Amino acid sequence: MASAAESGPAPPRESDQNFDYMFKLLIIGNSSVGKTSFLFRYADDTFTSAFVSTVGIDFKVKTVCRNDKRIKLQIWDTAGQERYRTITTAYYRGAMGFLLMYDITNEDSFHAVQDWATQIKTYSWDNAQVLLVGNKVDMEDERVVSTQQGRQLADQLGFEFFETSAKDNINVRQTFERLVAIICEKMADSLEGESAAAPGKKGPSLSDAPAQAAQHCGC
Amino acid sequence: MINHHSLKQDVPEKMDDHAPDEDREHALPEAMLDLMSMDNDFTPRAHCLVRWFGLRSFVVIVPAAPAEAVITESKCNLLLSSISIALGNTGCQVPVFVQVQQKWRRMYVGQCEGPGVRTDFEMVHLRKAPAHYGHLSGLLDVFKSKIACPLSSVPPVNVCVRFTYVLQDCQQYQWPQPPPDMDACVASEVGGLEIGKLPFGACEDPVSDLHLAATWPHLTEDIIVDNDVYSDLDPLQAPQWSVRVRMADNPQCLLCDFLHEFHGLCHRKESTDQLLGKSLFEQDSGEVGDIGQVLQRLTEPVPLHLPLLPTVSSMVHEARQRIPRKHRSDGVPVTPVMLASIFKFMFSDANGMMETNPGVNEAATSCPDQETGNMHRNLKSAPVDSLTHRLALCLCMINYCHGGLKGVAQVWQEFVQRLRGYWESNIVIPWLNPGPPEFSCCLLHQKFQMLNCCIERRRNREELQNQHQLVKETGGRQRRDRHSAGPSEDASGFRSWESWSEDSEDEFYECESELSGDEGGEQSLKVVNSDGDDPSNEKSKRAEGRFQQHSSLILLSSGAPLYIPITQESAPMTEDLLDEQTEVLAKLGTSAEGAHLRARMQSACLLSDMEAFKAANPGCLLDDFVRWYSPRDYTEAVDGNGHGELSARMRIPGNMWAEAWESCKPIPARRQKRLFDDTREAERVLHFLAGLKPAEVAQHLLPCLIHAALLKVEEESSDDVPTVKRLLQQTISLASRVLRQPNSDPGRLADVLQQLGLAETVIARGRSLRAKFAVQSLDKDKEKEEVERFVTSLLEQPEVPVIGAGRGPAGSILRGLFINSQQNSAYTPGDDVALIQGNSASLPSGFPAPRGREFVLRTLVPRPAPYSCSVPQRMFCVLLKDQFTLAGAFSSDTSFY
Repeated sequence: MASAAESGPAPPRESDQNFDYMFKLLIIGNSSVGKTSFLFRYADDTFTSAFVSTVGIDFKVKTVCRNDKRIKLQIWDTAGQERYRTITTAYYRGAMGFLLMYDITNEDSFHAVQDWATQIKTYSWDNAQVLLVGNKVDMEDERVVSTQQGRQLADQLGFEFFETSAKDNINVRQTFERLVAIICEKMADSLEGESAAAPGKKGPSLSDAPAQAAQHCGC
Repeated sequence: MINHHSLKQDVPEKMDDHAPDEDREHALPEAMLDLMSMDNDFTPRAHCLVRWFGLRSFVVIVPAAPAEAVITESKCNLLLSSISIALGNTGCQVPVFVQVQQKWRRMYVGQCEGPGVRTDFEMVHLRKAPAHYGHLSGLLDVFKSKIACPLSSVPPVNVCVRFTYVLQDCQQYQWPQPPPDMDACVASEVGGLEIGKLPFGACEDPVSDLHLAATWPHLTEDIIVDNDVYSDLDPLQAPQWSVRVRMADNPQCLLCDFLHEFHGLCHRKESTDQLLGKSLFEQDSGEVGDIGQVLQRLTEPVPLHLPLLPTVSSMVHEARQRIPRKHRSDGVPVTPVMLASIFKFMFSDANGMMETNPGVNEAATSCPDQETGNMHRNLKSAPVDSLTHRLALCLCMINYCHGGLKGVAQVWQEFVQRLRGYWESNIVIPWLNPGPPEFSCCLLHQKFQMLNCCIERRRNREELQNQHQLVKETGGRQRRDRHSAGPSEDASGFRSWESWSEDSEDEFYECESELSGDEGGEQSLKVVNSDGDDPSNEKSKRAEGRFQQHSSLILLSSGAPLYIPITQESAPMTEDLLDEQTEVLAKLGTSAEGAHLRARMQSACLLSDMEAFKAANPGCLLDDFVRWYSPRDYTEAVDGNGHGELSARMRIPGNMWAEAWESCKPIPARRQKRLFDDTREAERVLHFLAGLKPAEVAQHLLPCLIHAALLKVEEESSDDVPTVKRLLQQTISLASRVLRQPNSDPGRLADVLQQLGLAETVIARGRSLRAKFAVQSLDKDKEKEEVERFVTSLLEQPEVPVIGAGRGPAGSILRGLFINSQQNSAYTPGDDVALIQGNSASLPSGFPAPRGREFVLRTLVPRPAPYSCSVPQRMFCVLLKDQFTLAGAFSSDTSFY
């Protein structure tokens, strides 16, 4: 599993090796869009209206099963403030998946999505997968970014799109599961591509030449 | 009997099915039709039975081991009759062969059964052709006597003839690329090899010989004469010509050699110290077992002279100072002159390029098109033309022709010294992109960038300090001295350099302590001068460290404008540092305490910013800070007048933000504890670099080298065949797959190198052929195009027909080649002359004797009785210098005999 080794720290540090793969995921987006809440909802199934604003980065772990394989998700939560950009982008390296989050009640956070996407492109590996997530659908009254707008932007960026609520637990699990699924698909593809490329690799090889020559000479 | 069976059981069966598509609605088995078919004459790449009998499908029984070869005739007959029974029982129409005699003789006998007809395959194999069978007329006699046709008027025999001519070495064309002359490298000019360029091409002709086959595909015996006194078979008149080239098995190719040698380095265990000798005292103590000394004795002594070099900056002076010193006691493989030219190439500071930030200019030039520009990201190497890239090229060359491993160790050591020189004299290292380390590049490149970050930070810091003129008199002078020592070349600067280098370590720590002393002093000075009273009294404090006024915000308490403070830049990191840090953070676990600790560990930046903010805005509140720093955590009051409020999360009692705010003092950024200790980090980098073994350096640089090699192949392949393009694409994608994994599998790396070598060989072959056919010198475009196409197909196909045979453009070039080589060898008659004895009578002038002659004789006659059906008869004859083979397939009617 080349791709698995490629991105996750392959040998698990903990002595409990009760998983088959480890995926490193990152949640990014403007400050106060609900990244930490979203992660707590998924990892601990809890919700508090106020988490201390994340300083630097933090992480949670969740193990999921997929096709009889246990996948340990190491999900890194990042500070959204501008000041932390340079610190957090360093962690993009080696992440296999991103949740790019904005707040449907905050236009700025939506407008920043393009920037975040550029950051991903600049600092992550090419094969990292990204989902666009519009959070806080429980606050429908204050919505300023329509679902349509969100979907359109996602299409434009080539990401899949979810609207979620960490508070009401809407689409949280589904979002993560989808991201994991896409990563798995991508992994399978790249493995296939590799094995497909192997015979092609033969091409014209040096060893052909002598064989062919020998054939002729003796006749 | 039992023996027989066991033999039969462990023989492998081999099916050779070439064109299984034809319809089988014929009375005769396919095999027998094949005998008469002219389609399969001289198939270029196939089993010899295909060539001999024209068969497309057959079964061969071969002995499993040489010891079990079927030597005796009785055993052979036994096998044949078993086959006969088997074929009869099964009704199988596929011919079955048995290999008899020693394997190398390639003798096969076999049988094919069809409805009412049987074909026997038999062979004669001799070392030398009997004189009277050395030409067509003799062979026809054999054929006819073998058929023993009962008819009085025998139908004429169809004849197909092929003569093969071999052009062994084209001596008249001096192979243009001699191997690099290692001895010449001692001189200042690097023999044939330009520094910073990878060599390319084969050292010997990758095309070993050229086989020209002149074929008369369809003759009848009565229209040609070929006997011991006369022959109609003039190759120039042959209707078909075809050429195949035989390539040298493993031509020595320079690029590939370079890479392999360098790759070989990666497995060496020796450390730099071991290789170069620990230091001067150890040399003096005369330790005998030291590897460095053993090697030293093996290497030739290098001419000893103190070189006089052109303008190079003071670091070079310093390094040069070391070289002669070492030379006195230690035979290092790389001469000072060589070293100087390498470093001139790497740093190019002799051209005064150093201060003009070359990184920027490089970014502009090195990415002409998207694909090439991004290649270093895919390969995780370094940008083309960067210092790292240059280093890789130089070390590769040093490894190949200037002392191998030891040379690499020496150059690496000097290189690190030179980096230290840049650091110590506070000069930005050239050929590196500015900014923090790029994780898309190899670790070594990141380390170099990191060092540059340190240098730049320190420069900025010191500049700032000088501006503020807060430096104490003594310390300041000392530092300024050091400043001027770097770029200037005056005698005093140089001397001070020497004294620095004597004992640089100590100097460093002294410098650091002096700095921190400065800061302490500075701070106390400040406190006394500006405040005078209790520093904790914020209101009375003068604002410090302001960057600029915020465009709109005003302080909540006083209504004064809010100032954005100067803040410390966050610490740049290389990927290994980041991994380390991530590890530490991850180790804290996911518990609430862990998370809290993690936040605390990362709070330095927040704290520093708060301090700076407080200093810039005396009398400010957390609310003010949050409004600037994290605007979403503050809700402005709706009515525009009164106070808004902090977000709920900022109001959580005891949360980190509030806690930090309470605890921090107003301190402008320049007086804060540094978030990034450039001195320490620079030392760390230099220590890391100095501790690398040559093998590790090679490992780190291999991606850059592969990158360079790919570009080289790409550059060289511009005029070449599609095969190369395809190969190159494959190599690039393979390389990026392999190199982007953190620990590249050495086996797969070897694959990449092999593919690169292959691409190089193919290009070299193309060049060789093109030179032979003198494509460039052809006048007419049309001819040129045709010959070009011909050359291209020679590279891609086993055998290529010559359009227009001896009369076409390619044909006439071939004719010239053969005639030339014949003339050249005329004075030293080789064995070839002896070969044609049987047929020497009427050779066309100038053409050499054929190396091999092949005849296919075919006819359809009734056999064995005059009233039998007409059945196919065929005999294939090969006449070589030391081989005479007849392979006959004689059919007979099994119904009417």
